[in-house]
Amino acid sequence: MAIHTQVWRAVYGKSADAIEKSVENVDESIRAIICIPRLFPFTFGHVDGLPLSNNVSPTTVANTASLLRIVAFGLISAAAIASRLFAVINFESIIHEFDPWFNYRATRVLAAKGFYEFWNWFDPTAWYPLGRVVGGTVYPGLMATSGVIYNFLHYFNLPVDIRNICVLLAPGFSALTAWATYMFTTEMKDSSAGLLAAAFIGIVPGYISRSVAGSYDNEAIAIFLLMITFYLWIAALKQGSALYGTLAAVFYFYMVAAWGGYAFITNMIPVHALVLLLMGRFSGRLYVAYCSWYAIGTLSSMQVPFVGFQPVRTSEHMGALGVFGLLQIVAFASLVRSHLSSKQFQDLLTVSVISMGLLGAGAFIVMTYKGWIAPWTGRFYSLWDTGYAKKYIPIIASVSEHQPTAWPSFFMDLQFLIFLFPAGVVLCFRDLRDEHVFVIIYAVVASYFAGVMVRLMLTLTPVVCVSAAVALSTLLDIYVDVAEPAVPENENSSANGTGAATADAKKAKKNAAVGSQAGPNAAAAASSTLSDIVNAAKSSSKSSPSKQKGIWGADARLVIILNAIGMLVYFVFHCTWVTANAYSSPSVVLASSNPDGSQHLIDDYREAYYWLRMNTPQDAVVMSWWDYGYQIAGMADRGTLVDNNTWNNTHIATVGKAMSSPEEIAYPILRQHDVDYVLVIFGGLLGYSGDDINKFLWMVRIAQGVWPDEIQEPNYFTPTGEYRVDERASDAMKNSLMYKMSYYRFAELYGNGNAIDRVRNQNIPKIGPTLDYVEEAFTSENWIVRIFKVRKEDPLGRDLKSANAFAQGKKRKRSKPVSRRRAVV
Amino acid sequence: MRATRSLSGTTVSSIFTLLLVLCITLAFGSSATAKSASSTGDSVLVILDSAKKVDYSIFLQGLEAKGYTVTVRSPRDESPLLIEDGLPNFSHVVFLASDTKNFAKDISPQTLVELLTLGTNLVLTLGLKQNLLTSLAPEFSLLLPPPATPLVSFFPERSDSPSVIPIAFDTKSVPNDTFSVLSQVENKIWFSGTPFALSANPLLFPILHAPAESFAADLSDSPGLVADALADAAEKGGEGFWAGSTLSVVAGFQTLIGGGTGHGNDAGPGEDKQSRVVWVGGPSLFSDEFATKKVVEKVETERGKSVVEKPSGNEQAAMDIAGWAFQEHGVLRIDEVKHHKVNQTDAPETYTTNDEIVYTVKISSFNPTTGKWERYSDLKDLQLEFTMLDPHVRTALPAVRGQKGVYSTTFRAPDRHGVFKFVINYKRKGFSHLLHTLIVPVVPPRHDGYPRFLSAAWPYYIGAISTSVGFLLFSAIYLAGEVKEEKKSKKE
Repeated sequence: MAIHTQVWRAVYGKSADAIEKSVENVDESIRAIICIPRLFPFTFGHVDGLPLSNNVSPTTVANTASLLRIVAFGLISAAAIASRLFAVINFESIIHEFDPWFNYRATRVLAAKGFYEFWNWFDPTAWYPLGRVVGGTVYPGLMATSGVIYNFLHYFNLPVDIRNICVLLAPGFSALTAWATYMFTTEMKDSSAGLLAAAFIGIVPGYISRSVAGSYDNEAIAIFLLMITFYLWIAALKQGSALYGTLAAVFYFYMVAAWGGYAFITNMIPVHALVLLLMGRFSGRLYVAYCSWYAIGTLSSMQVPFVGFQPVRTSEHMGALGVFGLLQIVAFASLVRSHLSSKQFQDLLTVSVISMGLLGAGAFIVMTYKGWIAPWTGRFYSLWDTGYAKKYIPIIASVSEHQPTAWPSFFMDLQFLIFLFPAGVVLCFRDLRDEHVFVIIYAVVASYFAGVMVRLMLTLTPVVCVSAAVALSTLLDIYVDVAEPAVPENENSSANGTGAATADAKKAKKNAAVGSQAGPNAAAAASSTLSDIVNAAKSSSKSSPSKQKGIWGADARLVIILNAIGMLVYFVFHCTWVTANAYSSPSVVLASSNPDGSQHLIDDYREAYYWLRMNTPQDAVVMSWWDYGYQIAGMADRGTLVDNNTWNNTHIATVGKAMSSPEEIAYPILRQHDVDYVLVIFGGLLGYSGDDINKFLWMVRIAQGVWPDEIQEPNYFTPTGEYRVDERASDAMKNSLMYKMSYYRFAELYGNGNAIDRVRNQNIPKIGPTLDYVEEAFTSENWIVRIFKVRKEDPLGRDLKSANAFAQGKKRKRSKPVSRRRAVV
Repeated sequence: MRATRSLSGTTVSSIFTLLLVLCITLAFGSSATAKSASSTGDSVLVILDSAKKVDYSIFLQGLEAKGYTVTVRSPRDESPLLIEDGLPNFSHVVFLASDTKNFAKDISPQTLVELLTLGTNLVLTLGLKQNLLTSLAPEFSLLLPPPATPLVSFFPERSDSPSVIPIAFDTKSVPNDTFSVLSQVENKIWFSGTPFALSANPLLFPILHAPAESFAADLSDSPGLVADALADAAEKGGEGFWAGSTLSVVAGFQTLIGGGTGHGNDAGPGEDKQSRVVWVGGPSLFSDEFATKKVVEKVETERGKSVVEKPSGNEQAAMDIAGWAFQEHGVLRIDEVKHHKVNQTDAPETYTTNDEIVYTVKISSFNPTTGKWERYSDLKDLQLEFTMLDPHVRTALPAVRGQKGVYSTTFRAPDRHGVFKFVINYKRKGFSHLLHTLIVPVVPPRHDGYPRFLSAAWPYYIGAISTSVGFLLFSAIYLAGEVKEEKKSKKE
């Protein structure tokens, strides 16, 4: 589009802004493209059998195009939603994973008791006995969305279960994401690129991984909000519209209420504004767009209880505030400039910029030092130094989502888009309008973050889709475009014959294509067909020396087009395959296949949680590693010590210490926290690798962080530094509560055969561990979930170990009275 | 033939009567309980050689007079079983067969401990020989001297063997907060048997100490040479010499209620049954012989020393020991717990931080003479804790004047939200333990529960108001100015 702008400027000598404004309306620009036949009737003379009649009226064409777009968009939405339903078809309508279980539980409270009760909800069962002030520690956007939908449907007497709303929310919002991406990409290039981007974002695995049916997590709606906010920001910036800026702020508020990742927007938009400033592109439009967005967005975001005063107190938000201030200064400076001579202004500028910069930086440092601005958080540092978390905050490093991304996962999640992505960014450089700067910054930042953390692949995916769509649509524009620049009658025939400048063929083709667009755009703007034809002719004649060079042959084009179509087809197959096989497992239910190929479901989790629900007192407290906290709360409806909202490191470390200590040390901890049951996940029988023994080292590390004198990681390795669970396991390992509970009576299962742990492929000793302070209460069908009951104190006041020894008939050593001959004090 | 037949007939009929009695006992268990002096039940099993039953007739008749049904079972008999189908058959078991070496299968240290967990009270008497009680004693933190070393004392001078000792009960030896089991015994108690030392188990407390002059020694090997025996005993005992009043001859043990998590069955008083055990150094304390044996004392009078014969305190002591063990005395329970905010009456589901909370508990004690629970106001040191991991509030829970058995206090909830527990944990020696936990969440104030319009916030109010007014003024002036300019331009 930039090229056509240049052409336009060359022709008319007007600023490009006017043109851009004129083609702002998507429909107009679409219509403009469709209008090609009307404006360039001669181009169709050489088209290979394109049966488009010249008699069709422009409105019909426009309407047809509009209809086609709607149909295409409907199909994209259908594909986006349908591909996310694998999980429901393969398994059932069930909430997935871990965090969604909390969101689901919270949503049920919201639906049942209303918003105010939800806001004031104190959950006494979580983080027992500390409890959790849910209303103040949650991003309520997701629950509120579901609640609104639920109440809306029920108002119309559609008794849809809240669970189904939760399950299907993510697929529904994926269609909206596709729409938002379409709007955003249209701003970048045109609506055909927009449709491509919408199709990409609709089915790309990188986004599906967080938005399959049942994956009821904040990201489900956050990506839509991210894209719509960015679109509105770009729209506000282009038009200098306070209305769009306010709309962007409203959606920004929604985003803040929905996802902690809102900080990405909070920093992306200021960085974009700053870069534009540095590029000397300050304008009233930028000022209006940014200030309306920042002022309203920040004020509204502070209304979310969990965010509170963070926007003015934490370092993460200081960038936005700083750019806001800078914009005021720059605006003031430009005002001053209009009243002063340039020499005076230069001096004033130098002095004021330096002094203000120093003042601002000094103030920032002082405020951070004084504690008025919170310093950067650990999660933030871990974004820059991947080793930081492992060293200082193991709780963050222990989350699998926070690991650095492996190379194959880029290909797995994005497939061929990852190759088109740089091409799209390069194309943005060629145009480099304000919005293209945005895409470039977004691409750079998101690429870095996606490399640091697996979960941030999610923020990279939209920009990859946009860039790839721009690249691919540029390619297709060139090769599919039937508007072949045949030799017009009014052109000189020399070029036709010589074919000299074949090297410039592509450029010529492009110019032709651009010219063909520029014409109609101008037509829409000036609504003067005649002048357009003149213009088009002029522009054509201007580039006439290279105009006739290009790939005109249908065969050569066909190769490229078929290749592109082939890539697209393979992309669809890849996406379908990845979605069906990798991202549709609820992880609450596991699937395996029988020898005959049929599917076999392993439902141990729900079996165990149901057992807890039916067989334990309503207010029983279950201790487990924090991964399972939300599931226990959601499915078993029992209290937990720690859960996936990892806000209290000490409490988690306490659980880690109890798990990694010997029984007699763990027991007082269990009693102090009123633990009734202990739940462990054990995959040794089935070969389920995500079990607690594999996570055990993290428990040790986290406990070591708080009690370095009592728990030491090296003690859990063999002297040769191996992590073993067989006879050669270290004593600390063998005596730990976790090991004992995992392998309790495991060897008995194999009778006389070798007991093999199938996850670690090690032989478990025949004589297994014994338990004195807890007793086995439940073990699920495949031994994945094992639940142990914490015993009460012995009625005779003995420690439970000797009480057990007595009950088994072992005689105690005869003891003598303590010497009474103590020194008289 | 006929004789055997009739014999079998009587056996059958006796089994039927037994069953009938059992059924009646079961059916009217509650009403029967009211008749006896115990708070937990009136069926007593005495494990005793049936031949020796006559030796303990005074004790057994005393029990029956109090309303107990006494069953005697020989140690080798297979029935009646102590535990049947996981339930105890008797409320109380008295173990007098201390000289027996071999027992029926179901009488083992493990069964006796299981009986305790099921709520059965025990009176256990040690013998001089080793038997199952010797291996059971260490589980109760009792330290026994080497086998066959009875308590001996040569004071006061008397004609009896040195191992038959009159022991005076000294009321002063009982600390203030401990229930005094033998407080009604005025006369000296005859004792013959093994003493034991008590290790530091808070559940165990001495009921009757050994006299200060006594020691544990085996005098049978070296008749006459007491000095040798003493040296021997000291050597056998090793570091600790078994002598003096730190040894006990009767000790009580109150079992612990495990729990207190406040969840499910563990909430409130708990389903755990408390039971009591009394360890007695020798069974002869309960015997007719000692009950009737006179204590000869030399009393100094104005005319010099004179010999006075007094009755022994054994009969009273035996009844008191059994009475404490069978939960007649020193039995407390929590009847009702109430809590609410000040100036309200109903218990809320949650408290807000800094609420003023009123906590009230009603406590009863069992009265063995009427067989009824009566409100009890005499606890002086009852405490209430308001706990989350640690007690955030620990306050005295005094008795309310004028309301019998009611203890109440008012305190302010801490400024900390979380799941708190009201905990009453009252454990005093000789009294049944009071343990009560009640979970209550303390939540932060609601969104509209905070005070509004703080005087400290006026700068902010002024800021907000002035900005709004300023904005309005600015808009008005700006708009007005716009019009002017237009007019100007028009004029131009």
